[in-house]
Amino acid sequence: MQLRYVFTELRQGLRRNLSMHVAVALTLLVSLTLAGVGLLLREQAQLTEEVWGDELQITFYMCNGANDRNPQCAGAVDDSQKKVITAALKDNRYVDKIEEESQEQAYKRLQALDVEGVSGPDPVVKSSDMWQSYWVTMTDPHHSAEIIEAVAGLDGIDHVGDVHEVTGPILAAVDGLQSAALVGAIVLVIAALLLVANTIRLAAFARRREIGIMRLVGASTLYIALPFLLESLVVALVGIGLSGMALAAVMYFGVEQRLSSTAVTQWVGWEEFFSSFAIVAVLGILLTLVPTLLLTRKYIKV
Amino acid sequence: MIRFEKVSKAYPGQARPALNSLSIDIQKGEFVFLVGQSGSGKSTALKLMLREQRPTTGRVYVAGKEINRLAGWKVPRLRRQVGTIFQDFRLLANKTVAENVAFAMQVTGHSNREIRQRVPETLELVGLDGKGDRMPDELSGGEQQRVAVARAFINRPMILIADEPTGNLDPGNTVGIMRLLDRINRSGTTIVMATHDVQMVDQMRKRVIELEHGHLVRDQVQGGYGAQF
Repeated sequence: MQLRYVFTELRQGLRRNLSMHVAVALTLLVSLTLAGVGLLLREQAQLTEEVWGDELQITFYMCNGANDRNPQCAGAVDDSQKKVITAALKDNRYVDKIEEESQEQAYKRLQALDVEGVSGPDPVVKSSDMWQSYWVTMTDPHHSAEIIEAVAGLDGIDHVGDVHEVTGPILAAVDGLQSAALVGAIVLVIAALLLVANTIRLAAFARRREIGIMRLVGASTLYIALPFLLESLVVALVGIGLSGMALAAVMYFGVEQRLSSTAVTQWVGWEEFFSSFAIVAVLGILLTLVPTLLLTRKYIKV
Repeated sequence: MIRFEKVSKAYPGQARPALNSLSIDIQKGEFVFLVGQSGSGKSTALKLMLREQRPTTGRVYVAGKEINRLAGWKVPRLRRQVGTIFQDFRLLANKTVAENVAFAMQVTGHSNREIRQRVPETLELVGLDGKGDRMPDELSGGEQQRVAVARAFINRPMILIADEPTGNLDPGNTVGIMRLLDRINRSGTTIVMATHDVQMVDQMRKRVIELEHGHLVRDQVQGGYGAQF
């Protein structure tokens, strides 16, 4: 095979369709970057759930007969009520671990926070004002509602504290951003596919005479298609390289320089960047080579 | 070398088939004129020989291969054995004469050494010695057709198919191209030539296959164009 001809054609093709190739590379840049951001957000959501998931606990505060919020409370919780509550918790398949906290332990924890009016000779809040509680760790933080539903209505329960109510909206926001990035990426991927298809059609049209002669003198399909495939590959590599740089910039300026100093959660790092970029690179190559293969088969059919 | 067995070809949306149960047999080394009015089926017959089309029914054999059954990836190999020339020359305007001729060898994987050796030989054979560096638009119509013949012949095909090769040429150049094709034929290459040129067919006294509405109406050894037209 005369590769010199293939590379000459490749050079000419890239020059001849320069504006179209630039359009394809830029569309790939935006679509692949959005896809990459979507993948990074997915990684971030998983990390956040892992970090917070361990800490996601439901707290069942029991009646103390002093400052109960639940009007159903008729005095402090008794042992038989506590037995019913622990039995209901142990029966629930989403419950992983149950820890009991007494009024004294709760009071000590409050004192440790050094809140005004808790320490001193005549404190405003006493240990009898605190609630006994069960701290429940879940096997899956998505099922807090099921546990609450099973236990909250039992006698002796005053109120329920669910950390998920606070973290839920944050996780939902990350999920939302991820979906938005992926939808944007899909729209732009379609645009990239159409642009690649148009470019190939134009390139095939510009070279129709050469292609016609090549077919007639017996050039193989691969030989005829090779300049088109290489042209698409070069454009794909440019688009992938640019999107890699854009993603690296998002990681460096966005995550490393700004977010990593906030210890709200564990942030995605370079490991997640490289795994997301690998997927983006494969996607970029498929996006350009698959339509090129299909269309060259159509336009240069032997 | 080329055999049609009860070949019919119908195009979608056309009431009448382009070819209707056509049977012909062309031997190795023959020079055959394919004549008939426009729409008689000449071009379809040539396209079938090149495997640009497949017959609707019947069988077509070219260089010992049944083209209906030929796998797609084997078609390029068949076409390397069949050279083609056209009325409109189909030269690449951005390449020199030598590059146009070399193109057929380049894209079929020949080495540079072979190309450097064979291109001047072939240009000399077609009478374009010393014109290898010219661009196609610097040549006369006859010379351009000689370049096309050189390109079709450079891979030394067993068959040469010519679709109205003299249609755009003046009588002087027509004679020159016909002499060239005759010389190529004498070297053992089978030539099938579709034409409307009455005088030339009458002068050459070669085998004439005449088609009308897709039917074979005449197959005559050393024939003339005939009085029908």
